[in-house]
Amino acid sequence: MPLVRKPPGPPPTTAPASDLAAMLQLLAGGSDEERWSAARAAADVPDSVAALGEALARETSTRVRQAIFTSLARIATPQSVDVVRGYLRSDDAHARTDACDALIAMGEAAWPYLGTLLRDHDADVRALACGLVRNMPSEVAVPLFCELLNLEPDANVCAAAIDALAEIGGPEALPVLERCHERFRATPFLAFAITIAADRIRAQSASPRA
Amino acid sequence: MANDARKRVLIVDDASLVRLYYRTTLENAGLVVGEALNGIEALEQLLTVRYDLLVVDVNMPQMDGITFVKSLRGKSAPMASTPVLMSSSEAHAMRIAAARAAGANFYIVKPLTQEALVQYALLLCGAPHG
Amino acid sequence: MTFTQAKRYYVERRVVERMTATGSDSFEDYFGRLRSDVYGEIEHFVNAFTVNETYFYREEHQLACLSSDLLPARLQMKPPGEPIRIWSVPCSTGEEPYSIAIWLLENWPLVDQHDIEIVGSDIDTNAVSAARAGMYVKRAFMRLPPYLLEKYFEPEQDDAWKIIDDLRQSVHFTTANIVDRTQTNAHGRFDVIFCRNVLIYFDETSRRRAAENLYENLFPGGFICLGHTESMSRISPLFDVARFADAIVYQRPPE
Repeated sequence: MPLVRKPPGPPPTTAPASDLAAMLQLLAGGSDEERWSAARAAADVPDSVAALGEALARETSTRVRQAIFTSLARIATPQSVDVVRGYLRSDDAHARTDACDALIAMGEAAWPYLGTLLRDHDADVRALACGLVRNMPSEVAVPLFCELLNLEPDANVCAAAIDALAEIGGPEALPVLERCHERFRATPFLAFAITIAADRIRAQSASPRA
Repeated sequence: MANDARKRVLIVDDASLVRLYYRTTLENAGLVVGEALNGIEALEQLLTVRYDLLVVDVNMPQMDGITFVKSLRGKSAPMASTPVLMSSSEAHAMRIAAARAAGANFYIVKPLTQEALVQYALLLCGAPHG
Repeated sequence: MTFTQAKRYYVERRVVERMTATGSDSFEDYFGRLRSDVYGEIEHFVNAFTVNETYFYREEHQLACLSSDLLPARLQMKPPGEPIRIWSVPCSTGEEPYSIAIWLLENWPLVDQHDIEIVGSDIDTNAVSAARAGMYVKRAFMRLPPYLLEKYFEPEQDDAWKIIDDLRQSVHFTTANIVDRTQTNAHGRFDVIFCRNVLIYFDETSRRRAAENLYENLFPGGFICLGHTESMSRISPLFDVARFADAIVYQRPPE
């Protein structure tokens, strides 16, 4: 038989750095492979948030950036949330996506910040925040979306909230959607989205849940 | 389907109601419509099915629209030269410039009207105007 | 699919699994997600009921892709003489790594010219022991042509068949949790990894960690095959999408 049986193969090629100082040094100035490896190892060292933040600011490899975001998501402290949420304002779409994905991966650690992000002065940030809030438990998310829709002047932010409500909203969202409809009569997409969302909510609340 | 001469449009957007709105609009205009919810899924579909036009959002999970278009333009022909209509809520000049630099053929700020979507879609995919 | 009263526990367990995986805190919450098909939940739900239904030659199109496209592509990139390494993870009770071995012996003309190392790993030590033992009942052979059953298995008592020693010794089995970097790194680098129907069950953070681990376990230019209903589009942007005649697979970008 030509297939060979060997004890599991060659030794690991990326030996994780042994101590914090060595790791931070690699994170700051190693090769792509070393920075990636150090960024990953940093997840087990909560003190590394500042170093990860600095590394992220100058990192150009998308793969290493990805690893840094994963480690920040795993650390999931208020400090790491702070670093990540800053990238929601980035002009680089890749960084915004990385930040959103990392904040979703953080789960509960990010929740306390999402309400504030929904009230951000920048409509683009509010729209991204809608995508984060929809991952919270629906009894928390739905009231946040309703509150937003009552006042939100930007059609695209409303659209993001309506998209979420179509999925997680209950009957309490119906009057809010109706008022939003009144305000945006001149925006055909929102009229369409609100009609679909309201229909879905009605259909769901009409059928008894198991 | 092999002999179907209708133009095919792939909608790349993570918002389900946006996809539904575009789909309804474009199907009414006689186009065949596919959907992907981010850039990776769009690349997967493009490797299997030919499209004449991509309508692409910017902010999406896992792979954003800008990264997607850059990656698309680096693939081999004919996939690489598929026209891209970028449609996003982002209206800052810098972000629109980034989309153009990545290889988007046209950029419109959301929310779109059905008329505008059909007009640009037919124009960019070279379909006869209805 | 019908479920008798006796299967009630099984059903409940799968529903609870999916509730945990989606972060649903109540059945109502989960049921809402299922109805609206949030992030393809219907598909995940269906998969949850079939995940352990493994058998020989499952997803044969991927095996075809392995011999006709993936291995030839890897040989072009590898220094001559280096062994080809293939990892089946999670391997459950061994059907997949043994299928890979049988498929290559039967279908890959170059099988005699290269050293091929097949490793199967699973987090479940019971599964790994069963894989090492190599005993299977009839259901596992529903897709395997009968002449291959005759060729690679020996009949045992009670309708069971045991894999022949030669083949049994050509697959190496280990215990490994793909979320644990120390454990995955210890397995070294592979040319092709089969990682089917597991990543979709992880939470977001574990999924990212597992994807990064598997990336490290691939040679640059190496391939990873997911289950046919899975897509990297919901897991990680680290890999390139590659399409071959028989399958869509993912690739660690070549350097």
